[in-house]
Amino acid sequence: MRERRNIPPKIAQRLLLRFLREDYAEEVLGDLDEKFLSVCQKQSNLRAKLNYWKQVIHYVRPFAFKRSKYSKHSFMLGHYIKISWRSILRHKALSTIKIGGFAVGIAACLLIALYVGNELSYDSHYQDQDQIFRITNQWTEGGEVGRWSNLQGPLKEVIEENIPEVEQVAKTVFWSWGNAGTNLVRTESSQLNIEEGGFIYADPELLDILQVKMVYGVRSQALTAPNSLVISRSIADKYFPNVDPVGKQIILNDKTDEAYTVGGVMADFPDNSHIQPDFIMTLAERQSGPGTGGWCCTNYIFYTKIKAGADKQRVEQKLLDVRDSYVMGQLKTAGKTGLEEMELHHSYYLQPIADAYINTAEVSDDITHGSMELVWIFGAIAMVILLLACVNFINLTTAKSLQRAKEVGLRKVVGSVRSDLIGQYLSESVVFSMLAILLALIIAYVALPGFNQLANKSLIMPWFSSWFLPSLCAVGVLIGVISGIYPAFYLSKFRPVEVLKGKISAGRGTAHVRGAMVVFQFMVTIVLLIGAIVTHQQFQLIMNKSLGYDKDQVITIHGLNTLDSANKASLKQEVLNLPSVQGATVSDFRPVAGTAIHNRTYWLASARLIDDGFEAARWSVDEDYLDTYGMRLVAGKNFSGAASDQEALIINETMAGMLGLQEAVGVQVIDMFDQKYRVIGIVQDFHFETLFAEVEPLAMVYGSGKSVLSVNISSEDVANTLSSIEAVWNDFKPNQQFRYAFLNQSFQKMYESFIRAKSIFLVFAVLSIIIACLGLFALSAYMVEQRSKEVSIRKVLGASVAGIFTLLSFDFIKLVLIALLLAIPLGWFLMDVFLGDIHNRVDLSWYLFAFAGVVGVLVAMITISFETIKAALVNPAKRLRSE
Amino acid sequence: MKLGAFEELVLLAIGALGDDAYGVTIKEILKEKTGKKPSIGALHSALYRLEDKEFVTTHEGGATAERGGRRKKYYQLTSYGIRILEEANELRMAFSRNIPGLNLKTQE
Repeated sequence: MRERRNIPPKIAQRLLLRFLREDYAEEVLGDLDEKFLSVCQKQSNLRAKLNYWKQVIHYVRPFAFKRSKYSKHSFMLGHYIKISWRSILRHKALSTIKIGGFAVGIAACLLIALYVGNELSYDSHYQDQDQIFRITNQWTEGGEVGRWSNLQGPLKEVIEENIPEVEQVAKTVFWSWGNAGTNLVRTESSQLNIEEGGFIYADPELLDILQVKMVYGVRSQALTAPNSLVISRSIADKYFPNVDPVGKQIILNDKTDEAYTVGGVMADFPDNSHIQPDFIMTLAERQSGPGTGGWCCTNYIFYTKIKAGADKQRVEQKLLDVRDSYVMGQLKTAGKTGLEEMELHHSYYLQPIADAYINTAEVSDDITHGSMELVWIFGAIAMVILLLACVNFINLTTAKSLQRAKEVGLRKVVGSVRSDLIGQYLSESVVFSMLAILLALIIAYVALPGFNQLANKSLIMPWFSSWFLPSLCAVGVLIGVISGIYPAFYLSKFRPVEVLKGKISAGRGTAHVRGAMVVFQFMVTIVLLIGAIVTHQQFQLIMNKSLGYDKDQVITIHGLNTLDSANKASLKQEVLNLPSVQGATVSDFRPVAGTAIHNRTYWLASARLIDDGFEAARWSVDEDYLDTYGMRLVAGKNFSGAASDQEALIINETMAGMLGLQEAVGVQVIDMFDQKYRVIGIVQDFHFETLFAEVEPLAMVYGSGKSVLSVNISSEDVANTLSSIEAVWNDFKPNQQFRYAFLNQSFQKMYESFIRAKSIFLVFAVLSIIIACLGLFALSAYMVEQRSKEVSIRKVLGASVAGIFTLLSFDFIKLVLIALLLAIPLGWFLMDVFLGDIHNRVDLSWYLFAFAGVVGVLVAMITISFETIKAALVNPAKRLRSE
Repeated sequence: MKLGAFEELVLLAIGALGDDAYGVTIKEILKEKTGKKPSIGALHSALYRLEDKEFVTTHEGGATAERGGRRKKYYQLTSYGIRILEEANELRMAFSRNIPGLNLKTQE
């Protein structure tokens, strides 16, 4: 008699039998039982049971599975796909619209996904990702937090001495100070100056912190020698093909006495790095300009790598401690005011390197940033467009359900159950979405270059990434199921008796669902239209805004920094001698992107050391500047070119307002370096930074520029004027290409990201219109077909073509009008949020919305009219005869 | 016809067991000789493959109480199975002889 507890676990046995092939069962169970018993005797009962379970689980292997169940499924799936294929072929036009709409939606989604992925992938390639930061300032006041990047140079040594958690720290200069930015480059052996961008200054440690890969040279020593620089691989290939350039000289702006020595060649920075330097000039042991400067000025962006395991917050706290114990004293000695305020509100913030590009911490700096806002907007638009495509699919499938109803009835009669039918319709929609994905890949591939231009990216299709094709398939199934689930449940519900007797008129019950979906589609479309129109209006407003200077007649000539000052003066004079030139001035300061930047703090001379003063931009200009740019003095006079100009100052209206005086001309102003000026003139406010912000205070001092000659030309025959200026240039610098820019183009550059948002709105508004219209077109075609007999009888009884057209169209136009009513408040709200509190904001006036509405309704009308007019014109006799 | 490493071991075990080769005994001898414990699932999968490749034949044996009244399935080498073992052995020896310093003495 066997003991009860020596029986193998029943549940495990049952589980095994569920999947095990019948012909294996006897042997397998026998072996398991025997083994079980022997373990029972030799060891324990529990052990035997556990072992039994383990063996059963190990038995889950393909060879042991039952065949029959499997083959039924694969057979049915094959059948489903065959039926799907036939139904696609039977309704070719409808299927084309379904698949086309899907494909356009998926392609748009795919491109946007690539874009979003790229935006979020910035600076994620460092090995010690979590240890690399930018050190930034943080100002907390009244619940608001502001951050900015620039810090004082001597802070580097202070950090190195006082904060042991910091492994390395480096200062960098990106803004146009010294040679940072763009320069003319040549090697010793060449006389040809070529313009190159991407110059920055950095401490030698930067290479280690950012883990730059070196092609030539040793990373830790590449920047330690004074006047050394590191160049990128592509620059090395251009100037020193096939040789190791380490030790070779690079001459900037023809200044042979200030040549740089190549200390190493680095691999090009990856495209998704927030900085893209091609030349890194060392800050080590510099005597003047970048690399120098005390506690007075905040000129540097700091990068740091903290030790593994060190706590970021602890480093921030220590920075604050050392600020209070040491830095504050230095600032006071340097003559800084407002230190009590600073003690209250100022602190430091370590920004993770991965955030430097997308900048969710909103640190203000001189680097191009991505926009999390745009990422969200793009993502939302992609989702919405995909949804529109799904809605199309659902609408068209349910509308056509009458044809399928008989099929469903017959299937049920011969024994199909509901779950089989659901399976069939789901697999049908998955087949559709898979075909759509194939088409979408082609569309996306073709559209990618255009999209890259639109988004200013260099994205590529990741064909060979391991995730790409599998996730596409997963998306295909997902979309197929989402858009197929409602039709599947709806279609499989029909009762066979009613359907086969013809009692049911399928499609009626879903009419209001379809209506709701058309409303949704047109609502989205009209909202996107409103977005496109509003951004376009905003753009027009900025382009046509009177700026306070003449942007359309000024061209700028670049690269004068290779000329000495005498030559600069004679170049300017020769250009002025040309008949079509009305004015010329040499200054690096321009009211557009790419200008030099210089800020100082100013006080009324009588208020120095009493109040905090205010910061103002400082431009060095000469006596011809205001005339060349067409800027107007509202009081006082211009520079005269006399020696007294050295202490003269022209300020803008905003600065005059900040001085707080009735009559600002004639007063004395003092700056942070205790230089004194007398205000001689007040210039009318002009926008020298973005129009989205208010005009900042500006002080113009007398001086001359280094590299840019601005020329005011008459607007007739610009090409001729340009070529004569070029001829003058070639007399002075035959070995350097003539480079010029139109001021209005440089002006447009300031609004590039806005212009991009505008184009994107437009493109996607058009896309969504296309998808919505495809759906509406097919829907109206179907409806007209259904009502063809009704139309014929009406005609026989005397209805006019116009009457019938109105009758047929009204159902749809009603829906579009409802959509319009919903879209206007929604669009207004979204645009209000999108524009935010920018300066010079366009008014959201009623005609913008009216225009969007009219376009939406008109497009819908045209779409519907194809089919309705055809139906209204048909000869009723032909239709009715067939009965 | 290919012979996997584990399949070769199972085949050797069947040969060594002679008339008494069925699931449980094969598993036991494998454990004894190699020290590894294959799961019954893995073992059966190999056995069925060997049967498909006709290296072994099977016949059903008597039922016993400890198997819950189920019959045993005995395995036996076919002549083809014996030949494939010989070939595998020869291949191995031919290689091994060319390796200097490899001790090939067997304990006879």
